[in-house]
This record gives sequence, structure tokens and C-alpha cells, in this order.
Amino acid sequence: MKKSVMLCGLSLMGLLLTEGHAATVDDLLLQYQREGATGFSAAAGQELLNRTGQGGPEAEGKNCASCHTTHPAKPGQHAKTGKVIEPLAPVANPERLQDAAKVEKWFLRNCKGTLGRICTPQEKGDFLTFLLSVR
Amino acid sequence: MHQKQKLLGIGLFILCVGGGISLGVSASDKERSGGKQHRDVAPVQEKQYSADCGSCHFAYQPGLLPARSWEKLLAGLGEHFGENAEVSQEVQNALKTYLTRNAADRVDDGRSKKIAASIAPDETPVRITETRYFVKKHREIPRRFWEKNPKIGSLIRCEACHTKAEEGSFNEHEVQIPGIGRWED
Amino acid sequence: MTQKKTILVWDPLVRLFHWSLVVCVTSACVTGEGFLRLHVVTGCVVIGLILFRLLWGVMGPHFALFRSFVSPPAEVLVYLQSVVIGHPTRYIGHNPAGGLMVVALLAVTVATSLLGLVLYGVGEFSGPFASWGLISGVQELSLLKKIHGMLANGLLLLVALHVMGVFLTGWQHRENLIKSMFTGSKTI
Repeated sequence: MKKSVMLCGLSLMGLLLTEGHAATVDDLLLQYQREGATGFSAAAGQELLNRTGQGGPEAEGKNCASCHTTHPAKPGQHAKTGKVIEPLAPVANPERLQDAAKVEKWFLRNCKGTLGRICTPQEKGDFLTFLLSVR
Repeated sequence: MHQKQKLLGIGLFILCVGGGISLGVSASDKERSGGKQHRDVAPVQEKQYSADCGSCHFAYQPGLLPARSWEKLLAGLGEHFGENAEVSQEVQNALKTYLTRNAADRVDDGRSKKIAASIAPDETPVRITETRYFVKKHREIPRRFWEKNPKIGSLIRCEACHTKAEEGSFNEHEVQIPGIGRWED
Repeated sequence: MTQKKTILVWDPLVRLFHWSLVVCVTSACVTGEGFLRLHVVTGCVVIGLILFRLLWGVMGPHFALFRSFVSPPAEVLVYLQSVVIGHPTRYIGHNPAGGLMVVALLAVTVATSLLGLVLYGVGEFSGPFASWGLISGVQELSLLKKIHGMLANGLLLLVALHVMGVFLTGWQHRENLIKSMFTGSKTI
């Protein structure tokens, strides 16, 4: 009796944990959909990684890949300071996409810094989808 | 030598040497704090600061710049040395409190006080590397040691050579220049 | 046979000053930049000691007074000649060469110390000359450091000459001058 209760409890916990992880991203994706995004595409997300924009004279030639590399499962390096940046893809870095506020913060900073504008909900959703698809 | 002269002499000696000692002690500062934590500036204790300001570069200790410099930096995070480092107003307020409270011109750490003293009251530097204290301390390092060194590249990367930088210690004897070795002078 | 008399030449304070200075200069030499605070405090004590000696040199007992041993250059030369020919004139207090050495040592020591304080202000933005740090650049700092070092080396050279001079004079007059610097007494 005790053993089965423990087993139940453990599996419930396990479910909740993975659910928690997925929940954060799902919540975000839902939010983006509410804001007008449709049909997220991992391919479109990958394209964003390499796109340069009008971030201003300092952002010349700078894109996401400049710091994050083109392989989200690999660690990156800040182009100017050399500081190591842990991989973006949850498969390589389970801490990623756990904190919605953190995700939004970095979208705000880095889209503005590279593209010169905030990313649209579509772009954000595509990008998260891409990250989740990385094996 | 008469008694009077002897007394005068003793008095003079005590005054002069005493004066010398007090001048010396008051003029100089304990650069490093005592006890177990041998540090020159207080290490970063604030998680928010480490997370928001230490993800892209070394989390420069607040004791490295005066309060007015930190305020200026925080007011211009949208254009932070070519990057966007915006934070929410709430976070910005929290950072401002932490940074100004522990700034170089607000604390007792020896090195912080020297850094603050090296900045004129009408100056508000936003780069630690441009404070007079920093410039003078690093004046003897040949450019070739760091400029084209792939492991360094710029003097903004304290942690590249100062092996105990994260603990707030920048002592010369702890310096290891990648590809070159210890700093001997 | 003439009675040998013992007289007190070096008063306790001039002796205390001398040996305190020896300790401080030695300490300053070994501390250098590695133990900067101790080095600075030592240097300030040196300034205090020299100030004392300057005052004592006009207020103290006979043999401590500058006017009793600081001689014009001509007299120094005459004395040096007597040394060279092997018949050195005996002086109870400092001989003219010794007197010159005292002046030189005091001058170089105080110059080194004062410059050290200036350097402390310029390089460390601390002490009475801290504000000079704001109006000086790396060139000035490097130059000051060099001069401070040169003066310190000059001081050490003078100390070496001083020690040699003490041994030479002691040998020539058959007296233990170092002992006299401790007891204060000389036999005449």
C-alpha cells in the first residue's frame, strides 16, 4: 500500500515537473497567439537567428548568432566581452525557458539590440518553437 | 645636558615621531579588508545584479564606480555601450538602490576610496577603465599583452587576468595574464 | 702618563634618533610597494625623526648642534687630506667629513620621504597630496616613481659610504665608534 502511494506521488511529481517546464513555454505561446500569431514554424525561428536588422550603427552585422552561434545546443560567447553564454536550447540547457519574465526580458533587449525593434509575437513564437525542436 | 634640555628633547622626540606616525596612519588606508575575506572591494552579493548585469560581462562590483556613475549608467540602459540592456522600472529601482548604496564614494573599502578620490567631483565616468586610478594602475602593461590576445582583447575583461576578481580582489600578485604568465615588476 | 678621560659625546636623544632612523630606513627598504601602508607609515616616521634632528641640532647639547660639526668645504678637504696621508686629525664629535655626511644623509633621506608622500598622492590618490593625483598623468607618475627610486638608491649608497667611513675613522683612531653610538661615550 505504502509503495504504491509513493509511486503515485513520484509519478505525479514527475508529471508536474515536466508539465511545469512545458507550461511556461505553452503559456508564452498561447499569449503570442492571443496577440495575433498563428501557426508557429521552427524553420522561421531558425531564420530569425541569422537575420540582421537596423539595430543602429553599433548593431552593424550583428545578429543573434553573433553571440549565440548558429547551433542553439552549443554554448555561445558575447562578441565583445567574451563571456560564455549557456546554450539556448532546452535540450542542452534545461534551465532555459523556465522563467517567462526572463524570456521576455531577453527578447526585449536583444531584438532591440540587433533588429532595432521589438520582435513580433509571431517571431517570438517561431523562435521558441525552433528552440524546442532542437535535438 | 641639563634636566630642562633633556625634558625638552624627550618632548620634541615624542611629538615628532608621534606626529609622523599619525600622519602616516591617517594618510594611508588599509587597502584590503582584514580577516578571511581578503578583498579590495566588496564582492557582489545581489543576485538581481549578477543576473541582469553579469550575463554579458563581468559583474563589476559597485565599489568600482561612484554613485553618480551608476545612476548615469542605469538611466541609459537602452544604449549600453552598443547594446540594449533595458530592464523594467522595478528592476531598475532595485539595481539603483544596490549600486548607489555600495558605490565607491559610499563605502569604506580602501580601494574603493582610492578610486573615488581619483575622480574629480565634476566628472561622471561610465567606464571603469577610464578612471584615473585604473589608468595609472594599468599603465605599465604593454598593449600587445592584451589587445590582440584572444583570451583578453580588452581591459574591460577583468576576470581574464585577475584570478580573484569575482571575490573582489584585484591584487597584483594574483594576476595571471593568459599566454604570458604572472605579472612581475 | 696622561689620564684617559671618558666623556659623553652623543646624548641619549641623538643616539635614539640615529638608531630609530636605521630601523626605519631598513624597514622602508624591505617594505616597498608590497606592504605599501607600512612603507608609507615608516616614511612619515622618518620625516618626523628628521624634523626632530633639525630642531635638536639648534636646541640640543654641544655635540648635537650643527654649528659644532658642519664645516666649510675647505675644512672638509683639509681633513680628507690628513686622512689620505695617514695622519687624520682627531675630532671628538663628528669630523668635517662626517659632518658633511650627516648633512647629505639628512637631505637625501628627507627628500626621498617627501617625494614618497607626493608619489603616494599621485599614484594612490591618498594622503596629503591626494589632489595631485587628479592633475597628474601616467607620465608624471612614472617619472616620480623613478626619481623616488633613484633617491632611495642614492640613500643606500650614502649609507654604505657612511658605514665605510665609520670603520675607516675608527680604525685610524683606534676607537670603537659603533660602541660610542650606543653608549654615547668616547675616551680622550
